[in-house]
Amino acid sequence: MAISFKQIEEKLKAESKRLLETGQVSVVLAYQNGYDEKHPMPYAAKCVSDVENIIFNEYCNFNMARYLVRYSRGTKIAIAVKAADSRAVIQLLHEEKVCREDVVVMGIPVYGMKNSETGQEIDGQTTCGLYNPILYDILLGEEIHGKPVVSPFEVLTPYEAMDREDRFVFWKKEFDRCIRCYACRKACPMCYCDPCFIDQQKPRWGEKSPQSSGNFMYHLTRFHHLAGRCVDCGECSRACPVNIPLYLFHKKMAKECKEMFGQGAGMSLKDKPVLINFRVDDSDKILE
Amino acid sequence: MLKKTAIDKISELASRMMEQGTLIAPVKEDGYFHFREIADVQAVDLNYHNTVTSPKSVFFPPVEDFIHYETGKSILDAVAVELNVKPTFLFGVRPCDVRSFQIMDIHFSGTGSVDPYWQKRREATVIFGYAFYLDEPAQAEEFYSTLGIGAADPEGSDIFMIRKENDLLLKSMTSKGEKILDRLSVHDAATPEDEKYFEEYIHRGRQTRTRFTCIEKSNIAKKMEDLFHNNDFWMKISSACLSCGVCTFLCPNCYCFDICDETLFGKGTRRRVWDACMFTDFTLEASGHNPRTQVYQRLRQKINHKYSYHVRKYDTISCVGCGRCTRHCPVNIDIFSIVEDAMKA
Amino acid sequence: MSFEPKILGIACNWCTYTGADLAGTTRLQYPQNLRVVRVMCSSRINPSFIFRAFQMGADGVLIGGCHPGDCHYNTGNLYARRRLAVTKKILDFSGMEPERFRVEWISASEGNKFAEVVTEFTEQIRKLGPQTKFKIAL
Repeated sequence: MAISFKQIEEKLKAESKRLLETGQVSVVLAYQNGYDEKHPMPYAAKCVSDVENIIFNEYCNFNMARYLVRYSRGTKIAIAVKAADSRAVIQLLHEEKVCREDVVVMGIPVYGMKNSETGQEIDGQTTCGLYNPILYDILLGEEIHGKPVVSPFEVLTPYEAMDREDRFVFWKKEFDRCIRCYACRKACPMCYCDPCFIDQQKPRWGEKSPQSSGNFMYHLTRFHHLAGRCVDCGECSRACPVNIPLYLFHKKMAKECKEMFGQGAGMSLKDKPVLINFRVDDSDKILE
Repeated sequence: MLKKTAIDKISELASRMMEQGTLIAPVKEDGYFHFREIADVQAVDLNYHNTVTSPKSVFFPPVEDFIHYETGKSILDAVAVELNVKPTFLFGVRPCDVRSFQIMDIHFSGTGSVDPYWQKRREATVIFGYAFYLDEPAQAEEFYSTLGIGAADPEGSDIFMIRKENDLLLKSMTSKGEKILDRLSVHDAATPEDEKYFEEYIHRGRQTRTRFTCIEKSNIAKKMEDLFHNNDFWMKISSACLSCGVCTFLCPNCYCFDICDETLFGKGTRRRVWDACMFTDFTLEASGHNPRTQVYQRLRQKINHKYSYHVRKYDTISCVGCGRCTRHCPVNIDIFSIVEDAMKA
Repeated sequence: MSFEPKILGIACNWCTYTGADLAGTTRLQYPQNLRVVRVMCSSRINPSFIFRAFQMGADGVLIGGCHPGDCHYNTGNLYARRRLAVTKKILDFSGMEPERFRVEWISASEGNKFAEVVTEFTEQIRKLGPQTKFKIAL
């Protein structure tokens, strides 16, 4: 990268200060220090003196877009976003959960983000793999060009090649470990439904107890609800305490939607989300 | 009595335990440790710091079936599920987690009415506590020293185990433990030097400190009470919180549950499943009213329950400082720092 | 006794359900394994219906709607086509046989087609055997 994490942090603080000082926004969604350097936390700066707590380092993986829906309409919000996070903002704009005039997007072009738990670099294998935010009002740095992008769908190849029975055994083993803590749902910027389908009793869509078939029902339905909306930020998989590779299924759905409908979630303000749209010439072959 | 066995002969000890009952021990799955019922003795792995999920699921499983019923019939025809528990060996539990069982006992058997499911399992289980390895530093998230638990604290264990180089020293701490240790034919005799090492290790464990903050029970309870209406404090603390449920489900001291009837085509089961006060619908009432709609209200409740209400009622903090809540929080909230901030506020 | 599949059929009121009626009035024979639920439009179908049906032990699910372009509500089945295509992909990737779930466009005048599709689908499911992967074991 042309600039370091520290330099991005300086720019982020400077812009946040300016936006809060001038009253252009009343809250800045960014990051702060946690109990150690590898464990930062999401942060909402509400006044100029809060800005000194803002940081940015390679562990700031949080998708701050999930906090946008907590604020009442009309609240002016500035938000720090990386590539996938900016896609989430676009998707939320499509779904009218936030207005374009109410949000100031501070885009951060970056690579080299690391997983706090494993220390491994985060790339297209578990996220969308893009470096540059799709949407921004302010760019904190320079767009990154010329660096090869790890395809976000490459990691699917061994799973697609698996025999269907083996694939079922794989997913059953993963979902048997699920304890139904719902961290995946809460970490996701697109899961803002209140009440969530799984919490409804009339009708009951899935069993509450953390057993095999109820777990399948919860996760498959969630994958369906996110098809064409998931921006591949990887937060759900990082949030999962028992390390279920949810990103695999979300990526598969993103790949299918791309192939069937020619679109990726949150890639453009002009596109309409795939499942609330249609083309008369959509092929019947997609149903085979 | 003190016995000794070589660590690389653990599988022999494990097979003897499996001959006499059910063995539950730490197992490595995809790089992370969990307590699982052992089928293959080679799976037992003691090279771990602590498990992801706490061992409370041994006594308080995530799903517990109570009654089988048929919707067309009378409730009197419902059949209670028989709980048959084989003698169980819970092997390799860290001192903080062992202490958590004693705190959970308060709720499941100490308030006058006894939960027979908890009680039956508790009585059938022999707990093999396992000291933390003192040559390894404690992890940043742990704070059991603050709660008066030593890194090699044998309290609550039936048999306590300490690692001595390539050997495992096992000492019976209760009569239950003594009987079992005898029956397990652990052959190697311990030397007087081993005895000394054992006692010194426990002592050293009391000095090995994790994060430590001087917290006096009644101080913290009073402080929490004073802070209850300070919405600014609680809103600031909870601004990052996702209100998911990971901290609750991994906490060895959280015991909230929901009873649900799961029915299909006229036949069903009434079961108990884990619930979390962090869930949005935890306090949702049939009328539709929900007293705790905001994240800050739910987080305030959780912290207050553990550090204030529990202290007032039972004179114990409902926390053992294992650090799982902080370690696995998706937004890295340091739960203990909330308590520290409350003390300073 | 050979295996008799339980198949859930969801038919849109204006086309497929009427087509099924036509198959009945013209005395066309087709297997009795299909349990039909009528909806006003194929876009009423929540994918959870399909997942839930499998949970409850359905061996197959057959959806019938108007031909794309002929929806009684103009565009309903165009949304349904996309949505149900995603459902199929999810079933496939999770390891469930996607052949257990089928979507057909059957118009009100296609009584023959209805009978043929049901017969063919029932045989296919009979060959696949009982569905056990998603079925709840209470």
